[in-house]
Amino acid sequence: MSLAEAEAQELHLERPSSLSRDALDRFIHNKAAVVGVVVMVLLVLIAIFAPLIAPFGPQEQVGPLDSSNPAGPSAEHWMGLDEQGRDVFSRVVYGARLSLLVGLVSAAFGLSVGLVLGALAGYFGGWVETIIMRLMDIMLAIPALLLAIGLIALLGRGLVQIMIAVGITTIPVFARLLRGSILAQRESDYVLAARSLGVRGRRLLTVHILPNALAPLIVQATLVTATAIIDVAGLSFLGLGPAEPGLPEWGKMLADNATRLDRATHLVIFPGAAIVISVLGLNLIGDGLRESIDPKMRS
Amino acid sequence: MTIVDGGELLRVEDLKVYFPIKSGLVFDRHVGDVKAVDGVSFEIMKGETLGLVGESGCGKTTVGRTILRLYDPTEGRILFEGDDISSLSQKQMQKLRGRMQMIFQDPYSSLNPRQSVGNLISEPLKIHGISSGDKARARAEELLEIVGLPKSATARYPHEFSGGQRQRIGLARSLALNPDLIVADEPVSALDVSIQAQMINLLEELQEEFDLTYLFIAHDLAVVRHISDRVAVMYLGKIVEVANADELYASPRHPYTMALLSAVPIPDPMVEESRERILLKGDLPSPANPPSGCRFHTRCPFRQPERCDTEDPELRTLADGHVAACHYAEEIMAGRIRAHESGKARAS
Amino acid sequence: MPLLSVRDLAVQFKTRKSTVRAVNGVSFDLDAGETLGIVGESGCGKSVTSLAMLGILPKAGRVTHGEVLFEDVDLLKVPDSQLRQVRGNDIAMIFQDPMTSLNPVLTVGRQITEALRKHMDMNKDEANKEAIALLDRVEIPAAKDRIEDYPHQFSGGMRQRVMIAMAISCHPKILIADEPTTALDVTIQAQILEVLKQLVAEENMALILITHDLGVVAGTCERTNVMYAGRFVESAPTPKLFAKPRHPYTLGLLKSVPRLDAARKEKLQPIGGTPLSMTSEIEGCAFAPRCIYATEESRTKTPELRRIDSDDHLVACWNPVQEEDMPRIEIVAARDEGVAG
Repeated sequence: MSLAEAEAQELHLERPSSLSRDALDRFIHNKAAVVGVVVMVLLVLIAIFAPLIAPFGPQEQVGPLDSSNPAGPSAEHWMGLDEQGRDVFSRVVYGARLSLLVGLVSAAFGLSVGLVLGALAGYFGGWVETIIMRLMDIMLAIPALLLAIGLIALLGRGLVQIMIAVGITTIPVFARLLRGSILAQRESDYVLAARSLGVRGRRLLTVHILPNALAPLIVQATLVTATAIIDVAGLSFLGLGPAEPGLPEWGKMLADNATRLDRATHLVIFPGAAIVISVLGLNLIGDGLRESIDPKMRS
Repeated sequence: MTIVDGGELLRVEDLKVYFPIKSGLVFDRHVGDVKAVDGVSFEIMKGETLGLVGESGCGKTTVGRTILRLYDPTEGRILFEGDDISSLSQKQMQKLRGRMQMIFQDPYSSLNPRQSVGNLISEPLKIHGISSGDKARARAEELLEIVGLPKSATARYPHEFSGGQRQRIGLARSLALNPDLIVADEPVSALDVSIQAQMINLLEELQEEFDLTYLFIAHDLAVVRHISDRVAVMYLGKIVEVANADELYASPRHPYTMALLSAVPIPDPMVEESRERILLKGDLPSPANPPSGCRFHTRCPFRQPERCDTEDPELRTLADGHVAACHYAEEIMAGRIRAHESGKARAS
Repeated sequence: MPLLSVRDLAVQFKTRKSTVRAVNGVSFDLDAGETLGIVGESGCGKSVTSLAMLGILPKAGRVTHGEVLFEDVDLLKVPDSQLRQVRGNDIAMIFQDPMTSLNPVLTVGRQITEALRKHMDMNKDEANKEAIALLDRVEIPAAKDRIEDYPHQFSGGMRQRVMIAMAISCHPKILIADEPTTALDVTIQAQILEVLKQLVAEENMALILITHDLGVVAGTCERTNVMYAGRFVESAPTPKLFAKPRHPYTLGLLKSVPRLDAARKEKLQPIGGTPLSMTSEIEGCAFAPRCIYATEESRTKTPELRRIDSDDHLVACWNPVQEEDMPRIEIVAARDEGVAG
């Protein structure tokens, strides 16, 4: 049997697998990652089917106004009532829509802008890179929350504004990450090989460098979504969230009831727990992605 | 050994490649240079295999990459079939890409992990407008067959193959454009011993079949001697000796070449036991800060008090036709100068 | 009485997809002061063998069978606390990559004295003096100043010398060197091997040298074992092994390596096929698929090491290499390398 025939035989024993399929395989077998996915899927479903899941409307008054001692959890109201007599469970359920939406959109915004800036910096180098990176450094020097507050002051309060503000704070992370990733890939042998074959410019970037440089960004995106949710909750807590009263945003729910912590713990615990669970789910997915994309990084 | 057709394919004249060292707080300032290649000249005839050998930091890889214009020369000329390509723009180089290709050392990083084997072999054909679609894939299959891999490999990805197989994929890729010159940068160093021989034989067969000219860069002297017609020895950015492969072993003229040959372990216990070795003292100096005068003088077992530490020797033709860069080559040859005792060791 | 006696050692690695049989029944003896070479290509299990002996296998590895008798004690059955007394003290090991085998945040002096103070019961001053003396022995210039330096301030060859200094600091009875020069330039390699040979002789240590380089074993080891697919396929005193290799794999290795001192260029004869994938269950002789002498017996029955030619030459093969196939290569006679020819 010739060498080629023997090797053909060896290859036939396994089906062709691209790197993505291998990574997916590893991800599926990572218990923590699967838990994360389950959590997020449930959250998304809850958000989508909120009207079917929540027994009452988010603004609907179903009990007495009782600002000093709102009713705790009961058989009828699983998470109790709030100071305006609204069903807390329904508010938390509807709140999922807001938090997920804001988290995802902010992260997506930051990712797209950061990606472009990082790609420009990494590919062109020179003064383009210097200018972009110093700008990113300046942005990173300001604590994210403060930057967001400043932007809200500029843009005004509102759902869209908050998404833009938080999104902007995430841009430097993505830009830096991609630029670093591109720099690393640029020096690899396969890029050099591509150049020696005559691959240049746009093709070099899109076919060779980017597909291999993007992997860390995918991981970062999930983690950034988590921090975006926290940041939005934080801004609402500070009273800088969307101006409409009664919006069932988890952070705002925390803010409104911080003072009632001792008397009406349920008003703080449930929205707080919702934030924690969402962030945890996203973090588990992020870690799972990191391990499945690059198993050597396992500690 | 191939029959040399005559006619120069490649000529390098006084090539220098310096990499700037930058440092600074906000803006990088140019504080010095790593003189990776510091005045290298040689020529390769059509159909010949020139071996380029040396240890880390000698600049051999940089020479190979600069010839292909993957790095830009700081000074000097590169002539390909008589045409000066040293200052061509990357755009102008496009037409020449097909004539000179490279094989890389690391089979695990020289293939794009996200490209299927079929795509990565046929990519050069598509970019240069030679063929596309089915025709390109057919050519890829043909090339795979030439290197001894099955056609079914086109649908697979690099990580599904072993190191030796990946090197062959890289070889198939480099043949796609029918090059005249192949710069092989340590093509077998990362392979297991039993696979190395397969690859070396394959390279020799392909050279015959496709009339290839090789610049064979490696640190393994036995392999270089085996495959090359002539060998150039590099040390710290300069060529210290050039000779016919067999003659380099039989009668080296430069002290570094002697030490290098002496250091190579030979798979024969009888020979190893009776050898008298020249052991160099100390480490390889850094190319960022090369010694004054003759770069080798800090470790040279034949070093003399005059000239060696002040004057950089020229690569010159000696009386017997050998080419070496040493002030005292003739004296060493004649036995008038002997190695300092501390430089020698005998196997116990 | 051999100093070290390994009997039928087997090591497996469990991954999610498969079980890799890295070592498949390895047995050998090591006498005091003997230099043994273990030669094989990547994946043959040579490194795993030594890691298993010292109980430092990576997490996924398990010893599934065998015993490692050191001074009558089976190291595989002993608790880790007792094993720690042996490691670094009676049996020391040096590794391939000098970049990563030294702790980058501790000075070289600190790393050497650590072992001295633990195993040799020295106080700080005594240990320091001894560390300087050790650096001198491995020929690191200006040892007194260098003791305060960090690993990154040394070159690759120097770092390897530091490793060797650390390894011999407690006067071990056995030194295991796992590819100690593979990552080094050839002129540095020659220096390191020279230092190693000298120290082994001075300390009267036994040395196990693991490498893929036939030239290195030829120049350093009294006895050589050839490893393939987790087992020894041949074992002999080095001169006999190279002069009369009886296993087709050994023969194949010798014929596929170009020799620097060959008088004439010989066409290389590579071993056909690819090295074994370690996950598949091996039936019969592991080398059979690539062996030109293979018979039906080779494919079904696994050969054991048996004596051939002499008491000290063992081979695991149903069809050992015959006289007419022995390598016969014409070489250029050794010149006096101190003076040009």
